[in-house]
This record gives sequence, C-alpha cells and structure tokens, in this order.
Amino acid sequence: MTEFRTIGRSIPRPDAFDKVTGGKHYPVNVSLPGMLHAKLLRSPLPHARILSIDTSEAERLPGVRAVLVPDEVPRIPLTPVYFTPVQSPTMVQDFVVMSRQVRWAGQPVAAVAADTPEIAEQALELIAVEYEELPTVFDPEEAMAEGAPQLHEHAPGNIAKHEVFSMGDLEQGFAEADHVFEGVYQTQRVHTCYMEPRVCVVDSDTDGRLTVWSSMQHAFGLREKLAFALGIPESRVNVVKPRYIGGGFGGKLDMGFIEPIAALLSRKTGRPVRAEQSRGEDFITTARHPIKVYLRTGVKKDGTFTARHIKSILDAGAHATHGSEVIMVHGLFGTLFPWKCPNQTWEGFAVYTNNMIGGGYRGYGAPQGCFAVESQNDEICEALGLDPIEFRLRNTWREGDPHPAIEGHTLNTYRLEDCLRQGAERIGFGERRPAASGEGTKRRGIGFACHPLWVSGCVGFPDIYEHAGAIVKLNRDATADVVTACVDLGCGQITVLTQIVAEELQLPPESVRLSYADTDIAPFDAPTHASRATYSAGLAVQAAARDARRRLLEAAGHVMGADPQTLVLEEGRVMVRGQPDSARPMAEIIARAEAPWIEVGPEGPVPTTLEEKGTIMGLACQAPPSNPSPVGAEFVEVEVDTETGEVKVLRVVYAHDVGRLLHRSGAEGQVEGGFQQGMGYALMEQMVFDEETGAHLTGDFLDYKIPTAVEMPRSIEAIFIESDEPSGPYGAKSLSEMCLIVPAAAIANAVYNATGARIRDLPITPEKVLRALGKL
Amino acid sequence: MKQLIELEINGQRQELLVEPHTSLLQCLREQAFLKGAKRGCDSGGCGCCTVLVDGRAVYSCMTLVMSVEGRSITTVEGLSGEGALDPVQQAFIDAGAVQCGYCTCGMMMAARQLLDDNPDPSEEEIRKGIAGNLCRCTGYAKIVEAIRLAASRRQGHSVGEAG
Repeated sequence: MTEFRTIGRSIPRPDAFDKVTGGKHYPVNVSLPGMLHAKLLRSPLPHARILSIDTSEAERLPGVRAVLVPDEVPRIPLTPVYFTPVQSPTMVQDFVVMSRQVRWAGQPVAAVAADTPEIAEQALELIAVEYEELPTVFDPEEAMAEGAPQLHEHAPGNIAKHEVFSMGDLEQGFAEADHVFEGVYQTQRVHTCYMEPRVCVVDSDTDGRLTVWSSMQHAFGLREKLAFALGIPESRVNVVKPRYIGGGFGGKLDMGFIEPIAALLSRKTGRPVRAEQSRGEDFITTARHPIKVYLRTGVKKDGTFTARHIKSILDAGAHATHGSEVIMVHGLFGTLFPWKCPNQTWEGFAVYTNNMIGGGYRGYGAPQGCFAVESQNDEICEALGLDPIEFRLRNTWREGDPHPAIEGHTLNTYRLEDCLRQGAERIGFGERRPAASGEGTKRRGIGFACHPLWVSGCVGFPDIYEHAGAIVKLNRDATADVVTACVDLGCGQITVLTQIVAEELQLPPESVRLSYADTDIAPFDAPTHASRATYSAGLAVQAAARDARRRLLEAAGHVMGADPQTLVLEEGRVMVRGQPDSARPMAEIIARAEAPWIEVGPEGPVPTTLEEKGTIMGLACQAPPSNPSPVGAEFVEVEVDTETGEVKVLRVVYAHDVGRLLHRSGAEGQVEGGFQQGMGYALMEQMVFDEETGAHLTGDFLDYKIPTAVEMPRSIEAIFIESDEPSGPYGAKSLSEMCLIVPAAAIANAVYNATGARIRDLPITPEKVLRALGKL
Repeated sequence: MKQLIELEINGQRQELLVEPHTSLLQCLREQAFLKGAKRGCDSGGCGCCTVLVDGRAVYSCMTLVMSVEGRSITTVEGLSGEGALDPVQQAFIDAGAVQCGYCTCGMMMAARQLLDDNPDPSEEEIRKGIAGNLCRCTGYAKIVEAIRLAASRRQGHSVGEAG
C-alpha cells in the first residue's frame, strides 16, 4: 500500500475551530446594510383558485416597503430541481414561483418586504385573499382513480410520471419459481430536519444584476434556476457559495420559494432582501416522498430469484419536482438493479395529490425500496428456512461483474461478502435465536439488511450534472488556496478536499485553504448530493492540485537549472530526487515565479525576474471516469417491550465497503448520523396532516420527534472494508447515503426476529407492534 | 414600547433597548451581534439557541430578555478566554463531534452546565444532560465522547480551582 502523508489520517476538521467558537459563516448570519426582511403569505387551503388579492391595507402599514402578488411573478413553468439542465425532457416543468392556482396548503400566494421581520409578519395578516375552494385528493391511489379531482391539465389521471422497465420474461420466471411471495410495503413522509433553517439574502444591483447568498446545496444550480424563473440570462445572477451550511441531507437541494421572491422584492425596492423560513415553513418546503411498493417475487427452493414484479406508487404532492426523478432512482437503484434476478419488471407512478411537494433526502428513493425488498427477502428466508446471508450472496453481484445498470462500467471493487460476513461475526449473528423464541416481556432480536448497489455520483445518468471543477492557487508563503463550488453540508468536504490538495502538494493540511468561491469565479461543480462530492469533486480537486504541482516543478526547473522530471516535493521543499542538498523552499520557487525576486548580494539587492511563469495555478474541469458502487450491510440488535410495543435499538454494527478511507473519524460520523436518521425513519418520524384541510400538524420538534441522545443505541460500530477503487481519489468511493438506505429494513427485520411481528408500514410505532402482536 | 435594560453578557455590562416580546435569542443575535446562539426552531424544540443564565442552560428563544434583566448571560463567545479554548470546545474538535456545526454551540453550553454540576458524569448522565439538544448529523456518538473527554481533561486540569 502506498504511504500517504495526510490521506487516511483523521486530521482536525479545518472548519471545526470556527464552528466551536460561534460559527460566523453560516448563511443565516449574512447581513447587509439597509437589508429588508421578507415573509410569505401561505394558502390555508389545499386546492383553490384565487379570485382576488387586496394588499392595500398591508401596503399602508408603516415599515412595509413592498408587497408581491402572483400577477407580478413571471409565469414561467419550471422544475426547481437543479441537478439537471432547466429544460431537461425527463423533468416535469409544472411549477411556477407564485400562482393564482393553489394546489397545496402552504403554497405561497403573496409576500411582503418590510423593515423588520415582525412588521412583515403583521402585514401578512392585512392581506385579504378571496379563494374559490376546489375538491381535494390526498391519497395517490385515490388520485389515480376515475372521477378524482384533476390537479394539472397536462396530467390526466394525475399521473406526473409513469415508467415501466422490464428485463427477461416475467411470466416464464414466475412459472419457473417454486414459491411466490407477495407483500405491500408502505413508507411515510419524513423531513430531513437540517438544523439551520433555509435562508437567503438577495441584493439587486443598480443594473438589476443579482447577488445571492443562500443555504442551498448547489451554487450553480441556484444560479441556473433563479435566472430561468425570472427570465434573465444566467450571467445576471451571482451566487455566493456559503463557506458551510447547517445541514442539508437533500432538503436544500432545490431552489425554494424564498430565493426568487426575495429577488423580485429586492428589484422592487432596490434594497437587499433577506428571507428566513420558520421551522414550520421548513417542514413543508420539501420532504421524502411516501412510496407504496407492491412486491411479488418468485424463488427456487434454494432461494435463487426467478422473477420479480414491483409496482411503486409515489405521492409527488402538488408538483412533480423531484418526484419524477425519485421514482426512477427508487425503481432502478432502489429495487431492480441491486439484485440479480433474470426476469424483472418494475412499474412506477409519480402521482399528483393536494399534499406538499417532495424533495431530495439522503438515499433518494432507495430507503423506500430497500425497506420493501429487504423486508421481503427476510420473509422469504424465514418461510423457506434459508440462511439469510447465503441467500443475499446468491442473489447479488460479484467483484468484476459488469455494472448492472451502467453500460460499459464494471464493479471493480465490490466487497459485499466481506461486509456481510464480518458484520455477522461482530454482532454474533451465528448465535441468533429463531424468531419470536424469547420469553418475558422484553424480547431481544437481531436483524440485518444490505443494499447491494448504489452510486458515487451520477455518471451513467445521462440527464444529471456530474461535472466538477477546481482551481488551486499557490501563494508565496507556500500555502494553497482552493476555489471550488462544492458546498460542505457538514459531511466533511472541506476536510477531505483539503487533505487531497495537501497530499498532492506535500503540504501540511493547515497550509491549504478552501477559499471564497462564487459562481462568477469558480468553475462549475454539480451539487453536493448523490454521495458524489468526495468522489467527483475530490477527483477534480486532485487533478487541479496535480496541475499546480506540474507548473511548480517547471518553475523550479528554471530556478534550479534541473529537469522538472527529476524534481520532487517534500515537506514544503523542492529537490532533485535523492539529492536532499539540492532542496529549495517551495515558497521561494512560488515567489520567484510570481514577482521580482530580490537577492541581497555583497553589492546590495539584485532584483531578478523569472519571466516564464507568473502565479502558479492549477485548473481542472472534468467529469469523473466512473460510478463505483459502495456496498454495505447493517446488523442491529433490538429490544421490544411486548407490553408497551416500544422498540429500543441496543446495538448497531455497520460494515461498509467505501474504497480507501480518507478520514476515519469523518466516515464514522456519517455512519452514526445516518443511523440516527434511519432509526427515526424506522421507529418514530412521520409528518402528519389534517385529513380535511391538508394542514401540516407536526411543524415543530415537539410534535415531530427525532431521536435524541437518550433514544440512540449505546453502541454503533463502523467496520470499513477498505478496497482500492481504481477510479477514485486514492482509491476512495462514496459513503453518505448508504448509511441511511439500510437501517429501516434492518430494524424491521430485527423486530420480526424478536417478536414475530412483521411490520410492513413505517414507522414501526408501539401501536403497530401491539396490533401485530394481537394486543390491540 | 421599547425599554432600556441592562444585562451582563460574557462578563461585560451592556445596556440594550428592547421590546417586551423580544427574546433573549433575538437580543443576543441582532443587538449584541453574538451569532453563536442559533435559531433552529423558535419553539424550544432543538436547543441550538442554548445559553447560560447565571450558569443554568436555557433555551434563549423561549426566554424573554426582560425576564433576565440584570442577570449574567454566557454565550459560546464567552467560553474561551485569553486565546485558549474551553476544554469542552477543544474536546468537540478533538473527538470529531462537529459536523455541520449548527447545533454545536448550543450543545456545548448544555455540556458546560452538565460538567459544572457533575464533573464526572456517566454515559447515561451525559446523554440525559444533552437530551434537550438535537443534532441531525452525528448520531450523538462523538458528542458523548467529546463530553467524556472534556470531563476527564477538566478533572485533570481543574484540581484546586473553584467550581
């Protein structure tokens, strides 16, 4: 194995010092002189037509500077999803920033900019809106039925997207099966619960050009969508990359309502306008889509799959937004391609309802798929008495197999078997007791799940951005500035990108700085999403650092009178390989390349200029070469109280093939945090809406419970199976989303092992457990 | 009606003009320009806004600033003295307990009160001590580790110091 200087070391996070001393650089702290504050008026009705809006009283309130109504907003249909080009044919363009047509309770219908947030809030109450109520539908299957209210003219039957994907011969496959299993698996609407609210400040220049500070996960996507929504060229918008944001998890993946509304209000007033959402507004901005999965599987006696039919119905809510893409990723990467089955058909529907819109959330359709498939896989093993680990291995891929979903790519690194075997050994799976064999009130059980295919980015998805770029600039004090549009949501991109540049330039990590970046100066970079940043942005940063190193060695060749090919970097110095005496400080080479160099000789100062160079900079703009699949298997031990129905997770072991580990502590943090979100998904989290009005009822953390330190298991053990992915930076693959795709299925399987109760709809609440045990 | 009140913030007395409904969080962020306490929910649900009032951790979003007139407020900006980080801050860095960091300042304030009350807490006591503070990134594992580390360093370093 290659020896690394910084890679693989858990260096202190470069952003940690700032964050423990107050965290100056969150978007929520951005403040400009003369800034106004915007608030949005939201419809209380889930389906209505606005007949009139009277803003006169609101406009008269002292301190109100502007009111915005739907008629002033460009009527440009778009999708706020910004990992695809604006006019991508795969994305449904059914969304306008503000409309007289209301399709969900909470849709913005007017906005106010005022001197203070309080005045803006007061002014909202003075706006009189007259609505004509329309019939509603909240259940996607009811929305598909004949006679249901129709929400969009372009979508008869309320179908936002319908896709079928088939391979092999399904009928033949079921005919070959010895056993057929059927089940219906339902997941719920949950929120990412990033801690920093969505916020933006938009400043319209005198010529109308916009500068935008926002908490979004993708600077370039926001530039593109905002310009499109306002009908102006992209170059009329500059989005400043936040140095860091307070969490995202996919929940800040698209342009919200606040950015275009603040932009229009800034134009109207000539003042910078800030909009910060309340927690209740954050909840109803995006959420993970509920998906109902009808799953029918044929197997041979030995557990080999012969056929699988999957029908998935996704509740897109009022607009398609991510729904039309989530349904595809769910179908292909969440259910179909992870498993080796010769005859499969998947049919997916994204359906319009009068519910809130959905969005991205870590895993993007796969948690819903994994819960269904891995629950049923467990049922198959139980029913047929099969070894559940051998069953998984029989029906999944092997290292070196062609990539099942992306043509021309190979599964170069794929250590699922090691993950399963090491995880099983660590938790003591061999000693697991038969299902429901415990005694007493509190019953323990062990379960596991795996997800045998996922992504390190989006290569292979032809419509999705995957390019990345970076500039590495060397300073005369032997430090490096890195310009990249890659946003760190908290998962550690600042750290790993710093490590990569430090490694390439043989500098201490403290000498590398991720500097200011905005869309005016930084090269394009795709969003921080799809487990791509370490892999794709990491490769771009690595290439830019190598470019800078090449130029540095060329300059050193001039200065030292040596062939650059013979030069190496070591500890901030340049030297001829094997000749430590030849070493010159990197700082000197960089300075001589950039500016007159003054040597003080016996005759006094002698300026000399190295004319060949100038500032030493490296640049890379590229797509990554591949999309290697991380794989993982998670084992959990639970204790179920059969009197109260409460499920407690006692212990977690997650074995994961991530390629080479760049930063162990950061990787562990991904596993631990991913499990927290997965456990919330499995056991307690659910957004609840009023059945008649569609109003959201769980809009704060008192009503929407996420796991605290007390509910979390006392032991979460991460096992990293280090493979050397040939396409990745130093052999690395991705990590983040896998940590959340698997837990719900693993917990459901453990609950079954403990009690014999098979819960097929999330969350697994005490009530459902007691019902399944026949106690309610 | 605005009213002039006096607070002691991080050891300095300050006069502030506030409304009766102004929360301590608003006052700290907008008038004292201390951005360490964060707004996460404005309803006492997340703990990002936690500060110490006379050494007790409170949700500053749920505390009217007038109700703490004349009392001593400590925010994260007051934790580190003379160029040195508080052991809790240093431990959060060293244990890798900081990810997005938005909960971190509130979490550390809760940890400070916990350790002031109980210098050698058990794991269960640590978990209960931060149960009023949500984090969505870390699963709390490294936060618990950081508080344990801070406890042991404080004990090592604070022999003979007054509580």
